[in-house]
Amino acid sequence: MSSILHILKKEVITVFRNKRTLIFMLAFPLVLMLVLGSALSNAFDKTVSVGEIHVLYKNDLNKDAAPYFHTFQQYAEKSDIHFEKAGKNTDGLKEVKLGNADGYAVLNGHGIRLYTNGRNSIKGSILEGVFSAFTDQYNLAAEVMKTAPEKAGAAFGKVKNNYIQTESLLPKKQPGSMDYYAIVITTMICLYASLGSSTLIAGERIRKTADRLIAAPVRKSSIFIGKLFADVFVYALCIALLIVVSKVVYKANWGDHLPLVCLLLLTEIIFSVSIGIGVSMFSKSAGARAILNIFIQLASFFGGAYFKIEHAGKLQALLNLSPLTWINQAIMKIIYNNDLSAAIPVAAANLCIALLILLISVTALQKREGL
Amino acid sequence: MNVLEIRNLTKKFGDFIAVDRISLQVKKGEIFGFLGANGAGKSTTINMIAGLLRSNDGTIEILGKNIMKNKRFAKMNLGIVPQDLAIYEDLTAFENVRFFAGLYGLRGSELDAKTREALAFVGLGDHHKSTPDKFSGGMKRRLNIACAIAHQPKLIIMDEPTVGIDPQSRNYILNSVRKLNEMGCTIIYTSHYMEEVEEICTKIAIIDHGKIIAEGSKEQLKSIITDKKEVRIEVKTTEPVDPAEIRKIKGVETVSVQENIIRIQSDASINNLNLILEFLISRHIEIKALQEKEPNLETVFLTLTGRNLRD
Repeated sequence: MSSILHILKKEVITVFRNKRTLIFMLAFPLVLMLVLGSALSNAFDKTVSVGEIHVLYKNDLNKDAAPYFHTFQQYAEKSDIHFEKAGKNTDGLKEVKLGNADGYAVLNGHGIRLYTNGRNSIKGSILEGVFSAFTDQYNLAAEVMKTAPEKAGAAFGKVKNNYIQTESLLPKKQPGSMDYYAIVITTMICLYASLGSSTLIAGERIRKTADRLIAAPVRKSSIFIGKLFADVFVYALCIALLIVVSKVVYKANWGDHLPLVCLLLLTEIIFSVSIGIGVSMFSKSAGARAILNIFIQLASFFGGAYFKIEHAGKLQALLNLSPLTWINQAIMKIIYNNDLSAAIPVAAANLCIALLILLISVTALQKREGL
Repeated sequence: MNVLEIRNLTKKFGDFIAVDRISLQVKKGEIFGFLGANGAGKSTTINMIAGLLRSNDGTIEILGKNIMKNKRFAKMNLGIVPQDLAIYEDLTAFENVRFFAGLYGLRGSELDAKTREALAFVGLGDHHKSTPDKFSGGMKRRLNIACAIAHQPKLIIMDEPTVGIDPQSRNYILNSVRKLNEMGCTIIYTSHYMEEVEEICTKIAIIDHGKIIAEGSKEQLKSIITDKKEVRIEVKTTEPVDPAEIRKIKGVETVSVQENIIRIQSDASINNLNLILEFLISRHIEIKALQEKEPNLETVFLTLTGRNLRD
């Protein structure tokens, strides 16, 4: 046991003296969170500012209907929809095409014809909705007038002022961009731990210190466990710092179940370090490290570390293969749905895969001559 | 008492026999020179003694105990100075020695004291806080030695400890080897520098093609070739020299040509110096210097193996 601690202590010192590791594990993710969280904040913003809407109109309605349109106009003005009567020589369609007006409405005895500019679909959609609501009410009143003219006034008596009302089907709790990137970049960095661990055993062979370790009266398993625990400890510490900084400085939301989220991240670190050690055990060239690097990049991309991927269609299967997809979804469920059980399958998968890789590595190490 | 005893040790790599049933004894207090050209089986033997390689056959005993049955005991009594520097560049000299000594069960103040002792022994006491990247080649070599001796082993294997360093550091290391020996350590020493081996080793074994072909003191080895003499001729250029033609001269046994030096070994009972000189003059080879040498270890090695130690 004391040998394991002795090796662990040396490994921790070595890793923390390596400036590249610290930059990569701490500075890089914090900068990435800040850059992506700020630059892509619009993608996560649920409110869109439309501004004022200007409508040109030509009113050829008869005297009975004209007051109703006037009332409609008044209420629409309250919603920043401004109406301007088109002059005799004004080409309304041209004005819309040029972007001088957001819509051009022609009202006559046959109905309402509305022209909008397709380049600004939000304003156009709003106008379509508003005019559609007005025509529905107008048609209703017209029908009433045909059968019971005395009740037509009642049909228009109470003019609506809420022509469009939207109810969001999405839950109220959704991650903002900083919340999202704090999570996905932290889990991505957990996966990058495998790259650091891939030099644990191979590094001793390269430095020629492997022979000295094997010549010493220490079990190979002690060397292995010491190195494994050291890496898990170091990376867990880095991840803890990332969480603290992102929470305190960037105000990222880590939810009300932070200990559970931390435990889940710990299982991912164990998973990553195990993969790294596996590569370190069996690779004798830089090739395996390059393949590991590609795996991390793909897992990060499909895991949504760079941008949020939704409705992936046929690509969904690839997304589901990424270990980052598993853990990111689990953490989101814990934070935003209070679904604590989401942690169980991901933690179990991480630990089972890690255990399998470590068992294979230890068995191979015992059989092998040297490290 | 034998500190190391090897019996019929064999190591195969596939069909290739790297070490072929060798037997050796290293007695307490000896500085044992282990010589062999590259690929002779020297490093394989050392790696088996250190427990880095498993033998296919034979036994190795350290201080009378079989190393396979008493691994911990064997390792506790063994110190290894590998040919390649085996140190951590991120750790200070003190931390390097402390880490390796700690693997031998030393802890606390005892560990610190022995670490300081080892660093002082190799002359790095004042540099204990520096990292090896600030060290010269010689200082790194000395740190490499300190890492192997802090736990005070009874047997130290030094594999080319002076390779690639300046003469001053080499002298320091050779003196350190002598001092360690005086302190009671038994040392197995390998080197490509024959003069070093001749200077410090009390017993020497020569391995070639996986077999021990000679073993004994310097004097014993030299006596093997008392019937030989060697002529060393420095010439302006060796380009027109064909060793095969020189070998045809009466009494000549081996010819070695390196840079502008021709070394010729002959039967001591035949006076053929005139014939050799006549041959060189007839080939218009300009002779710059000539020296008839007493047999030394290099002569012995060349005679026994047919090649130079640096081959």
